[in-house]
Amino acid sequence: MKGFNISKYSKPFILVAFVLILTALRPTTFPTVGNIANVLWSVSVIGIMVCGTIFVFLVGGIDLSIATLCGFSAVVVVEVIHFFGDTTLGVLAGVIAAICVGAMAGCVHGFIITTFNIPAFLVTFASQSVFLGLSMVITNNKIVSCTAPAAFTAIGAMKVFGFPLPIYFMLVIAIASWYVLRKTEFGRYIYAVGGNATASEISGINVKKSTILCYVFSGITTAIGGIVLASMTQQAAAATGSGYTNDVITAGVIGGVSLLGGVGTVPGAIFGAVLMGLLNNGLNLMSVPSTHAGLVKGLVIIIAVGFDAMQHRDQSRKRAGFRLFKKKAA
Amino acid sequence: MNGINQNTLRRLISIGMLAVLLVLFTILIGAGSGKFLSQENLIAIVRDASVPGIIGVGITYVIITSGIDLSTGSAIALVGMVMANIYAYTLLPIPIMILMGILTGLACGLVNGYIVARMEIPEFIGTLATMSVFRALTYVIAIRDVNGVIKSQPMNVSQYTFLGNTIDGTPSGLPYVCIALALFVIVGQIVLRHTRFGTYIYAVGANKKAATLSGINVERVRMMVYVITGFCVSIGAVFTTARLQSATTALGTDFEFSPIAAAVVGGVALSGGSGDVVGTLIGALFMAALENGVRKLDMNTAFQYIIKGVIIVLVVMFDATYKARMDRIAKEKGAKEGLE
Repeated sequence: MKGFNISKYSKPFILVAFVLILTALRPTTFPTVGNIANVLWSVSVIGIMVCGTIFVFLVGGIDLSIATLCGFSAVVVVEVIHFFGDTTLGVLAGVIAAICVGAMAGCVHGFIITTFNIPAFLVTFASQSVFLGLSMVITNNKIVSCTAPAAFTAIGAMKVFGFPLPIYFMLVIAIASWYVLRKTEFGRYIYAVGGNATASEISGINVKKSTILCYVFSGITTAIGGIVLASMTQQAAAATGSGYTNDVITAGVIGGVSLLGGVGTVPGAIFGAVLMGLLNNGLNLMSVPSTHAGLVKGLVIIIAVGFDAMQHRDQSRKRAGFRLFKKKAA
Repeated sequence: MNGINQNTLRRLISIGMLAVLLVLFTILIGAGSGKFLSQENLIAIVRDASVPGIIGVGITYVIITSGIDLSTGSAIALVGMVMANIYAYTLLPIPIMILMGILTGLACGLVNGYIVARMEIPEFIGTLATMSVFRALTYVIAIRDVNGVIKSQPMNVSQYTFLGNTIDGTPSGLPYVCIALALFVIVGQIVLRHTRFGTYIYAVGANKKAATLSGINVERVRMMVYVITGFCVSIGAVFTTARLQSATTALGTDFEFSPIAAAVVGGVALSGGSGDVVGTLIGALFMAALENGVRKLDMNTAFQYIIKGVIIVLVVMFDATYKARMDRIAKEKGAKEGLE
């Protein structure tokens, strides 16, 4: 019980400590308005995506196609806008098309995983290659720039009350997924499926439908992330979003989402996204090249998941020990 | 149906798939042109299948224990870059350089094994993390010019590059890497099928708890299969860099997919406990022939990514349905026999 309380308050503490360390290390460059906006941008893309993929994590699945699906939806939105001659209508059509692509991708993932009972990582690992190929075919393996309609560039760049628009997207999506998970029947089903799929099936939950829906949510948020990313950079290519798979998974894991399913909350995931944003920004300010950043991020994943696995092990040991003790007492 | 062993049937299916693919490409590309069905091209296909096949031996072991290794592509780059550093900055002889490369591969495998078996981190997430760690380490130790820009390090001493060549030196001859492949497959298959360690691998994959209770050191077996994969990776890296005559940071990008695809196509079940090295060899040949054919058809290389992904999913879907059907048949048969 004691440990639980400490871990409950450890998150804000870690965040403050992180900010203080970065401020101390880079007093002239870190605590500036421009840099904080940078952090928020980075956080918002990861945050948007993790709010959807948390559903997949909660049912014990995984989505390794985040990066290339993000790139593919970025390519789709930009190409559709060009198709409509850079008009505002085109932006609307592009956004809808990209979200549909994301939802469809999620639907296919969910369907294959649940119908054929195939490990999620393999299906999404294979589809990652498919999405990459599709984006390469569509763009002819070139970078497609898109600077024209103001409605498109505003998605990533416009500021409302001093904060970039993507932050508001993230907040809206976070609140929506928090509401679904905490306040609806469907949300409770998801936790139940992740906790014990067989037990949920027996108690009348449609496990297959719930799982497919989770992958659809993940696909949609990944697509939104792709749209925002394309708008921020005003371009799209097959490589757009590369590296985000690890970032999103790491954000979830740092935020206390268990990859074994059934454990995790949206605020936790957002905390993870903020920490990832700070980590990315910090590495950047320390002039660590992006090619070297994988070292730090990989180690963070190993430590975070290792910690989670250790706690699981300790808990099961404790439970076993408790039973033993009770038996003796009786 | 009942007379034939399930594993034999699966082997026949993968051989059939390879045969169908070869016939299909021969027709599509034109049998008369000799562009596909010629001795030279068939050797080229075997050559392309060699590195995935060699690493596939280790991956087969890993998958049979119901694990996975996504870090092989990055580990190839790291091994290559370690050897390039030794080549560029020391006067050590080539065999020592190769030995250091092998040690690096073993270390990569040990790290993966420790993370997966000792720390009990889910296989795919642990090796996904080491995938980015190994790649980043490659960048860290990459060889740079005076301006600090990463350059590709040539390794063009004939004592080393002969490994990437054919035995008789002609382009139509048998490459050394194919002999290595044959060696790895034969030894790998014998170890898997005819040694105690091989039996342990199957036992761990089929049921970890039962394996532990029967006195198998599950943790050590799981660790060993990753170390073996690390060894296979280092040999693959030696042949790759010898052929390219250089080591780059991009070496092995998107490679991690190939040996897994080979194993899956060859009938190594991801749920663990079944499949063997020969199956993976057939799978590697299948994937190499597919890539070769797509290239010969002058299709956009992007289609390779799409086709590869789709084929993996289709084969896995087929395997899952097939396995469920076989289990049902076995159950029904068992029930009938029980009634009688």
